[in-house]
Amino acid sequence: MMLKYIIKRIVLMIPVIIIMTIFVFSIFYFAPGDPVSRIAGPNATPEVYESIKRKYGLDQPFIIQYLRFAKSVLGGDLGISILQDRPVIEMIKERLPVTLQIGFLGFLITFVIAVPAGVIAAVKKNTVADYLCMTGSLVGIAMPTFWLGMLLLYVFAYKLRWFPISGDGTIKQLILPGFAIGLTNAAITARMVRSSMLEVLKQDYVRTARSKGLSEKRVIFGHALKNALIPVITLMGLRLGWIIGGSVALEIIFSIPGIGRLMVDSILARDYPVVQGSMIVLTSSIILANILADILYTVVDPRIRYS
Amino acid sequence: MKIHKLRKIMVSILIFTLLSTVLAGCSKGNDSGASEKVLIIGYDQDAEIMDTIKTAWYSDALIYIHDRLITRDYEFGYKPGLAERWDISDDGLTWTFYLRKGVKFHDGKEFTAEDVKWTIDTIKDPDTGSPFRGDLEAIKEVKVVNKHTVEIVLNYPFPNLLYNLSSTASGIHPANAYEKYGDDYGKKIVIGTGPYKFEEWIPGDRTVLVKNEEYNWGPEWMSNRGPALIDKIVLKIIPDENSRMMELEVGGIHLLRNVPETYVEKLEKNPDITIYKNPATKLGYLAYATDKEPFNDVRVRRAINHALNRKEIIQFVLRGIGEVAYGYLPPALKDEYLEESKDLAYEYNPEKARQLLAEAGYPNGLELTLSADNSSKSSKLAEIIQNQLKEVGIETKIQLYDSAGYADMLKEGKQELFIREYSWSNADIIDWFLLSSRFPYPNHSRWVDEKTDELITYAARRPTWEERAEAYKEVQRYLIEQAVWAPIYIPMHMIAVRKEVKNFKYHPWMLQFNDGFDIEVKK
Repeated sequence: MMLKYIIKRIVLMIPVIIIMTIFVFSIFYFAPGDPVSRIAGPNATPEVYESIKRKYGLDQPFIIQYLRFAKSVLGGDLGISILQDRPVIEMIKERLPVTLQIGFLGFLITFVIAVPAGVIAAVKKNTVADYLCMTGSLVGIAMPTFWLGMLLLYVFAYKLRWFPISGDGTIKQLILPGFAIGLTNAAITARMVRSSMLEVLKQDYVRTARSKGLSEKRVIFGHALKNALIPVITLMGLRLGWIIGGSVALEIIFSIPGIGRLMVDSILARDYPVVQGSMIVLTSSIILANILADILYTVVDPRIRYS
Repeated sequence: MKIHKLRKIMVSILIFTLLSTVLAGCSKGNDSGASEKVLIIGYDQDAEIMDTIKTAWYSDALIYIHDRLITRDYEFGYKPGLAERWDISDDGLTWTFYLRKGVKFHDGKEFTAEDVKWTIDTIKDPDTGSPFRGDLEAIKEVKVVNKHTVEIVLNYPFPNLLYNLSSTASGIHPANAYEKYGDDYGKKIVIGTGPYKFEEWIPGDRTVLVKNEEYNWGPEWMSNRGPALIDKIVLKIIPDENSRMMELEVGGIHLLRNVPETYVEKLEKNPDITIYKNPATKLGYLAYATDKEPFNDVRVRRAINHALNRKEIIQFVLRGIGEVAYGYLPPALKDEYLEESKDLAYEYNPEKARQLLAEAGYPNGLELTLSADNSSKSSKLAEIIQNQLKEVGIETKIQLYDSAGYADMLKEGKQELFIREYSWSNADIIDWFLLSSRFPYPNHSRWVDEKTDELITYAARRPTWEERAEAYKEVQRYLIEQAVWAPIYIPMHMIAVRKEVKNFKYHPWMLQFNDGFDIEVKK
C-alpha cells in the first residue's frame, strides 16, 4: 500500500514539473535581454550577434524553442549551457552537492536546537526558561538569513579567523552558512514544537500516562513528543524551498559555488537551459522532500496509513 | 526504548559532524608545499569558457596562458611578442610577421606559422561564432610563407591591426586545437605558449595556473624574459564585495583589481595594503537618443553638457577619485587623445544651459526619462544628474534596469537620457558607438551622421598608426562640437596589493606577473 502511494505521488510530480517549466520558459522568453549579448560582448557587430543567436536557436519562435527543450528533457538530457557550452547536468552535478551539504547541516542544527528549546518552553510554560526560548526565537525569526550570515562571517571568520571568509573546499566552509540557515530556521521551528507540544500535553493519553505513574521524562519523550513532531515534520518538508532560497544569498556571501549561485548567475546572464535544468532538479527535490515527510509520519506515528 | 535509540542516533550524528569538522580543520594548511610561491588574486565574476576565440568575457587567466604576436610595454607602446618583428608594405595592405623560433606550446608542440593561420582563420570562420570576428574583418587572408614567416593580407589599410593582434582575444592557439582536444578544449584543456600553464578550473570557484618552466621568450621590454618567479597563480572568485575586501585584509587574497572607490579610505589605513591608482582607460558619460526630440537639436545637447557639474559628480559618486572627462577618449590613450579637449569642452554653466534651452524653444524646461543599470554606482550617478538637470529646468524620471534588460532596452531604442561607462583602450570605441552602420546597437545614442562616418572611416583606414591617431583627433574635435554625448568622468584604475607581493610593477593594460613579480612565502 505504502509503495503504491509513493509511486502515485511521484507520478503526480510530472504535471507539476511541466507546468513549472512552461512558466519559467515563458518568463524568460518574454523578459528583456538574451544570453547572446554576454557571449558577444558589448562591441559585437550586428552580424556577429545574429550568427550567435542562430547558432543556439534563439531566433526561433517560443513554441519551437520550448518543444525542442521539452524533447531533450524527455530524452533525459537537460540540454547544453549557452554560455559555458557544456551539459547542464554536468554543471548541476558539480554545484548541487555543496548546496545539499549546507542544507543538511542547516536541518541538523535546526533539529538539535529547535526540539529541545520547544520542549523546554512547553513543559516550563510561562517560566523564565520559556520566555528566554521564545524571545530568542522571535529574534531569530526577525533576522534574515543573509544578515545572520554576514554577521557570522564578520565575527567568526574576519575577526576571530576561525573559519575561511571565502569557500576553501573543505568542510570548514559549510559551518557558518549551516548555522546561518539552522539558527533562523530553528527559530520558527521551536515555536511550532512548543505550540504542538502544549496541545499534545493537554490530551487524555498524556493524563493517562501520568496517572499510571510514569516518570515525567517518559511522559514527555515517550508519549508527547512523538505526537508533537508530526506537524514539525510537515513544516520541515515545506521549509526546504525556503532553505534553498536562503542558500542563494549565503552562497554569494560565503563564496561557495553551489546551485543557488549557478541559478542567480544564469538568470542574470539569461542562460535559459541552466536555469531550467536547475529549476527541474530543485522542484523535484522539494516534492521528494515532502513525500519523504509523509513517509516519516508513519515512522513517528504508526497509526498513519496511506492508501 | 525507541526514543533512546533515536537519541543515540542523534547524538552520534552530532559527534560525527563535530569530529569531521575538527579533522577537516587539521588537514588544512598542510597541503601547501613548504616553499611554493602562490599568488592569489580576487575576482567578482568567473568566465564562462576558457577560450579567447569563443567569448568576449575573458578570464584573466588567458592573458598568462597565451602569448600574442604583438605585446604592449609599460608605456603602452606596441612591441614584438611572438613576432620578433614585422614589416608593413607601403600601401599598408600586407603585413609580414617574422616569428620567434624555439617557442613551444604547453603540450610540447613547436610554435609555427601554421598556428597563427589556424587561430586567425578560426576566429574569422562564421561557423565558430566568435565575437572577435568583427575586429578582424579587415583581414582578407593569412598566408604561411614558411615555418616562421606569416603574411597577413588586408582588404584595406588598417593600422589598428596592431591593437587587435595584441589584445587578449588574439592569443595564439595551437593549430587544430579543436580537432585534437575536442569538447574539452576551453574547459579542461587550454593550450598556449604563455608563461603560465592551465592546471585546473572549477567554474565559479577558482582557476589555478602553474608556471611554464621552459618559458624564455618573454618580450625584450621585460626585465625577466625567462620563467616567472611565482610558481602558481590562483584566480579566486569571491562574488560579494564585502567578503572580497575582508579576504584582502586577512591575506586570503594578495591582490585585487578594480577596488571600488567606497573601500579605498578603509584599505589605505591598513599598513599591509598599498593601493596603486592610475587613470583608467574608461569613460563615464551621459548619452541621449540623438535622433529624437529634443536631442536632435544641438543646442539642447550643448545645454545638457553645460548643466553638468562634473567635479561635484566625481566627489559624490567616486569620492573624489577620478578625473573630469572633456572628450570622447580616455587621456591614457596618449597617441589618439585630443589634447585640446579641455578647451573645446562645455564648462559647467547653468545660466548658459537655460539660455540655450530657451533658444531651442524650451523656455519652460523639459520632462524626460533618465535610464541606468541598477548598480549602486549608476543609481547614484542618476540621482545627482537628476538634481543637476533640474537646476536648469530639465525634470527627469529615473528608470533602472538589470544589465541584460538595459542592453535590450537600448537596442529597442526606448531610451531618452541614459548613463553609460565604457572600458576600452583603443580609439575604435568611437567606431563601435557612433558609426551609422552600428545603429541601433551598439550605436545606442542613435547617432546617424554622414560627416562622422566619413571622418571615422578616413581615420580607421590610414596606412600608418601615426596618421590614424592624428585623424582620430579630428573625429573627437567634431564630436565635441556636436555634443554627441556629455562626457563626465575618467575613473581611476585601482589595484590593492598586499605587502607579501614584491616587485609590483603597474602596467596600463594588464599586470605582467611573469616580469619579476615575487611573493613572500608564509612561514
